[in-house]
Amino acid sequence: MSGDSFSLDLPLARFATDSCEATALYRELRKPLLRYLAGLGLSSEEAQDVVQDAFLSMHKHLAAGRSQENIRSWLFRVAHNRARNCQKSYARRLGGPLDPGFDLISHEATPEHAVLAKEKFHRLDKAIRSLAAPERECLMLRAEGLRYREIGEVLGIPTSTVGDTVERAVKKLAEKCNV
Amino acid sequence: MCDFSGRLIAWMDCELEANEAAVVERHVRACAECRERVAAYEDVSRGIAAYCDVVLETAMVTKIHRKLPRWVPVVAGAAAVAAVVLVLALLPRSVRPVPVIPQVAEVRTPIAPKTGTNTPNPVQRRHAAAHRKTQTATWAVAEPAIQIAIPGDAMFPPGAVPEGVNFVANLSLADGSVQGLRLQP
Repeated sequence: MSGDSFSLDLPLARFATDSCEATALYRELRKPLLRYLAGLGLSSEEAQDVVQDAFLSMHKHLAAGRSQENIRSWLFRVAHNRARNCQKSYARRLGGPLDPGFDLISHEATPEHAVLAKEKFHRLDKAIRSLAAPERECLMLRAEGLRYREIGEVLGIPTSTVGDTVERAVKKLAEKCNV
Repeated sequence: MCDFSGRLIAWMDCELEANEAAVVERHVRACAECRERVAAYEDVSRGIAAYCDVVLETAMVTKIHRKLPRWVPVVAGAAAVAAVVLVLALLPRSVRPVPVIPQVAEVRTPIAPKTGTNTPNPVQRRHAAAHRKTQTATWAVAEPAIQIAIPGDAMFPPGAVPEGVNFVANLSLADGSVQGLRLQP
């Protein structure tokens, strides 16, 4: 396997540095990646498989001595492409309406506030489902803290297009949710 | 609509150049309509972040609560029994087990009473053949050549049979091939 030859060819210090870096990146980005992939409609198992593959690719990428710039957007791009490959029709596979669950509404002061929060969440859920796939993807990536430039790298579109798409999507949600 | 409304979200996301961001910031301080819009957009942004958390949480909970269908263990048990039978049937004759010699080794065919002519009675012959077959089948069940114990849990879903109950598969062999299979608890 070529992965073994990578490790043997590398200087030990550099390999150790890359391993530490990869571990830190894994701890930092695993959950955002899982959240993004679940938002695309992947199941838990599919999302975890894709994340594992993405980090394996990143390890090989770093071990081969390739560029370490924008590694966050690089990881999201790999995960995004793998998700598309393993589930071409993920937009149609979004499940039924979501239940916000106890944790999200438990901090509300009164039952009335909890009911209002739940209704608001359902309106948002419906509005997000009505968005076009690029709008939803831009919003999900923005929610994970990616800059417009990074979102453009992940989705393969210009930064200016990302700005327009984000603005259009947020305005649609603000109108539909009536907030 | 205010002229700055198209730059509010980019300003919120810190995507504007420094000088342009300063201009928008001064305007938002002065414009009540834009302040209201910014508040609404921030509310939506917080809602999206919470939505992403719920989506992931829902995916994880769905995984935990997923159960195997009830028919899976039944089919698995039946497949295991079928596999055992198939392996035994395909065993080469050179390695087949030594057959157990039955206690009743001979089955006497009833002798038809002699008549004056040599013409066989077709009804009697059919009856005799059926009698022989019955005798052979009785012998096969009473003296199985191979017994295989199969745990009840392997064939039935949990709770369907009491714990610890095994089933014994009696395989009757004749001429080196499986002639019958009978399961007994």
